[in-house]
Amino acid sequence: MRTTIRVLMLAALAAGLWCPPARAAEKIRVVATTTDLKALTEAVGGDLVEVDALARGNQNAHDLEIRPSLMVKVRRADLLIMNGLELDGWAEVVVQGANNPRVIPGAPGRVDASEGILVLEVPHSRVDRSMGDVHPVGNPHYTVDPGMAPAITANILQGLARIAPQHRAAFERNRQDFLRRLDQAMARWSAILAPFKGAKVIVDHNMWPYFLTRFGLVQAGSVEERPGIPPTPGHLTKLIAQIREERIKVILTVPWGDRQLAERVAQETGARTVLVASAVGAVKGIDTYLDAIDYNVKALVQGLQ
Amino acid sequence: MRAWLGVSCLAGMLLVAAPAAAQDAEALRKELEQMRKQFESMKEGYEKAINNLGDRIQSLESKQQPVAAPAMTPATVPAVSGRDQMLTQAQPGGQPTLMDLARPREPFALYERRGAGQLLFDMGVTGDFIGNLTQRNVQKANGGTFSGRENRFFPREIEINLFGQIDPYARAEVRFEAGEEARGEDITMKLAEATINLMTLPFGTQLKMGQMRNRFGLTNVIHEHDLPFIDRPNVLVRFLGEEGLKEKGFEATWVPALPFFLEFLGGVFNGDNETAFGRGSLKYPLVTGRVRTFFDLDEWGAFQLGASIANGQTPEQLNNQLIGFDAKYKYRPDGWQHALFTVAGEYLYAIRQVNVVDSAADTPIEQTRTRERNGWYVYGEVQPFRFGSLSTFSLGFRYDWTQFPINPGREWAVQPYLSYMPSEFLRFRLGYRHTERSHRDGFTDNGGSARTVDEILAQATFILGAHPAHPF
Repeated sequence: MRTTIRVLMLAALAAGLWCPPARAAEKIRVVATTTDLKALTEAVGGDLVEVDALARGNQNAHDLEIRPSLMVKVRRADLLIMNGLELDGWAEVVVQGANNPRVIPGAPGRVDASEGILVLEVPHSRVDRSMGDVHPVGNPHYTVDPGMAPAITANILQGLARIAPQHRAAFERNRQDFLRRLDQAMARWSAILAPFKGAKVIVDHNMWPYFLTRFGLVQAGSVEERPGIPPTPGHLTKLIAQIREERIKVILTVPWGDRQLAERVAQETGARTVLVASAVGAVKGIDTYLDAIDYNVKALVQGLQ
Repeated sequence: MRAWLGVSCLAGMLLVAAPAAAQDAEALRKELEQMRKQFESMKEGYEKAINNLGDRIQSLESKQQPVAAPAMTPATVPAVSGRDQMLTQAQPGGQPTLMDLARPREPFALYERRGAGQLLFDMGVTGDFIGNLTQRNVQKANGGTFSGRENRFFPREIEINLFGQIDPYARAEVRFEAGEEARGEDITMKLAEATINLMTLPFGTQLKMGQMRNRFGLTNVIHEHDLPFIDRPNVLVRFLGEEGLKEKGFEATWVPALPFFLEFLGGVFNGDNETAFGRGSLKYPLVTGRVRTFFDLDEWGAFQLGASIANGQTPEQLNNQLIGFDAKYKYRPDGWQHALFTVAGEYLYAIRQVNVVDSAADTPIEQTRTRERNGWYVYGEVQPFRFGSLSTFSLGFRYDWTQFPINPGREWAVQPYLSYMPSEFLRFRLGYRHTERSHRDGFTDNGGSARTVDEILAQATFILGAHPAHPF
C-alpha cells in the first residue's frame, strides 16, 4: 500500500515538473470571462494575442461551474478581462485557484471592461434578495449593446498596452479599424430598426435594456418575475394579459433560458419567440461580435414585422 | 446773558466740529471706495479661479467621458487613470519587488468604483439548521448521527463570513460560527477560520496561513451548510471527528503551468485535532499533502481525482498517518441549477499506533500496537428537471462503510435524501438514514444501545449577503 502511494506521488510530481515546449510565437495570452469580451479582445489585439473565454457562448454567464480546467486557462494568462458589475463574480474563485499573480485583483493584468460606462438600472433604493438575484451595482449586460463597444475596447486596449506597451500603436490601429466597421454596421442597424422605434418587446431574462434603449425599443416585461427565480403562475397570467392588451409581438429568448415556457406564453398570446444571441457563439455560426449584433438585429426585425 | 453765552459756545463748537466731520466722511468715503476696489479685485480673482476650475473639470470630463446608453462614444482612448499608473508603477513585472512590498500601499484605490460608505470587503451570513428523529435507545446511547442532540431541532452552524483583498498582494478570510454542540448547552460564537492568503508568490505558488479547514480529501474543506448531503460522511467523522480536520498552521499550493490541471499542496500545522492528531506542537507537527488533477471529459462532464496524506501524532504521542483517495464526476449541462448528475466517493486508510493493555498477562502490560483501518463512502445526486417548478428538486443517495479507528468493529449506513432549493440562497433537505454497527462498543452510553439506528433527518440552510461561488 505504502509503496503504491509513493509511486503515485512520484508520478504526480514528475508530471508537475514536466515543462511543455515553448510556444512558437510569443503571443499575449488573454483570458476573457465571456465570449463577447473574447471577440472584442481579438478585434483589438489582432495577431498579437491568443484569447480564450471561460464561459461558452451558449452558457449562462451568471452562474458558471468553477471547473479546475478554467483555472488552467487563467494560470497561464497574461491578462484577464472581466465583465464586472457582478456578472462574473465566480471568476474570483477561478483566480484564487489559478495561482497566477499577474491577474489577481489590482494587478496590471486585470481589466474590468465595464470601467467608465454609464450603467443602467442601478438601484436607487434599498435592494435585497426578496427581489431575486438582483445586481446591486446595475445591469451587467452591457456588451450586447454595440454602442458600448468603443468604451469596452478602450478598456481592453489600456489593459493590453499595460502588458505590452511596445504594441500600443498596433492595438490602437486594430481598434480604429474595428470601430470604423462598427460605425458602418451601426448606421445599417439603426436604419433597419428605425421603423420599429417605440415597439414593445418581452424578454425572458432582463439582459437587453442596453440593446433595446440603443435602438429605441421598449422592454414591456419579462417572463422571469424576479431575476433568477422561476415565474409564478400568477405572474404568467398577468404577463399573458399584458401581451394581449398591448399587442406585443415579440418575446426574446436566450439559448440557456426556458424556451418551452416562452413558447407556451407565445402560443397563448399569438406573439412570436425570437431566439437572440446572448453572446458571441450563443447561436451556431455566430463567431464574431459584429456577426452576433447583426444576427440579433435581423432576428428582432423578423419578429417585429 | 448766561443763556446767550451758552448758546454761542455751543454754536462755536459746532462750527469748529463741522469741518472735522466733513473731513471724516471724506476719509470714510475714500476707505469705502478702496474696499470696493479690493472687493472687486477679489471677486475677479475668485471668478478667475472658478472659471479655471470649471475648465479643468470640463477637460477632465472630456478625457473620461462616460458612455451614455443612447449615444455612441467617441473612439478615443481615455488617458491612463491614476489607479492604472499606481498599479503599473507598483508592479511593473506583474510581481511585487521587495521595494513594492515595503512601500506604503493604497488598498482604497482598488475600490474607487464603489460609492462612499461602502465596505472594502464582503460580508455574508449563513445559517444551517438540523432536525432529527430516532429511536429512544439511540438517544439514550448518544449513538445518532448528531451525537448528544438526538430527537432535537437545533442550529448546527450559524456563520458570519468576512472576506476580501487586504491589498494587491494578499487576501483574508475570517469566519465566526456558532452552533449547538450538546443538548441544553449555551450556544457561543467562536472563531472558525481566519486566514491570510499570499497570492503573489513566484512560480505559481500561494501560501495560506492561519486557522483553516484543511484541504484534505474531497469534503473536509467544505463547510457544513455547503455539504452535498445533510451530515458529514461516517468515515470522516470516525477518523477526524465531527468537525473534521480544522487546524492552525500553513498551507502552500503549487499549480504548475501545464496544459491540464494539477495542484500540489503541502501543509504544516500544530496538530490540534482531538480525534486524530492532538499533539498540538510545531515540534511534532501535523504534516499534510495533497495532489489533485482534473479532466474535462466532454462539454458538460468533468472528472476530478485527488490523493491526500496527513501525518502527525496523537495526544498519546503516538504516530498516526491517514491516506486518502477521492474521485468526483459531474455532468452539468447548461441551465441546470445543480449538476444533472453527480457521483463521488472518498476512501480513507489509517495507520495508527495505539496503546493497549494486555490484561491476559499475569501483570497487565501496556503495549504499543499498530491499527490499520479504513473506510469509504460514495454518493450520487440527480436533478432530473431543467426548468419549471420541479427543477428546484434533486434526489441524492449516500452509502457509508467504515471501520472504527481504534476499537474493533465497523458500521455501514444508507441515506436517501431529497433537496429543495426555491432559490440559490435557500435550501431544504429531508433524508432517511439507516445505520448498522457490528459492535455496541462506544455506542452504549447511559445503558442504551445504538447498534441499529433509523433516523429521519431534516436540514434548512440560508445564505444572506455575499457568498463566494463553490469550486467543482
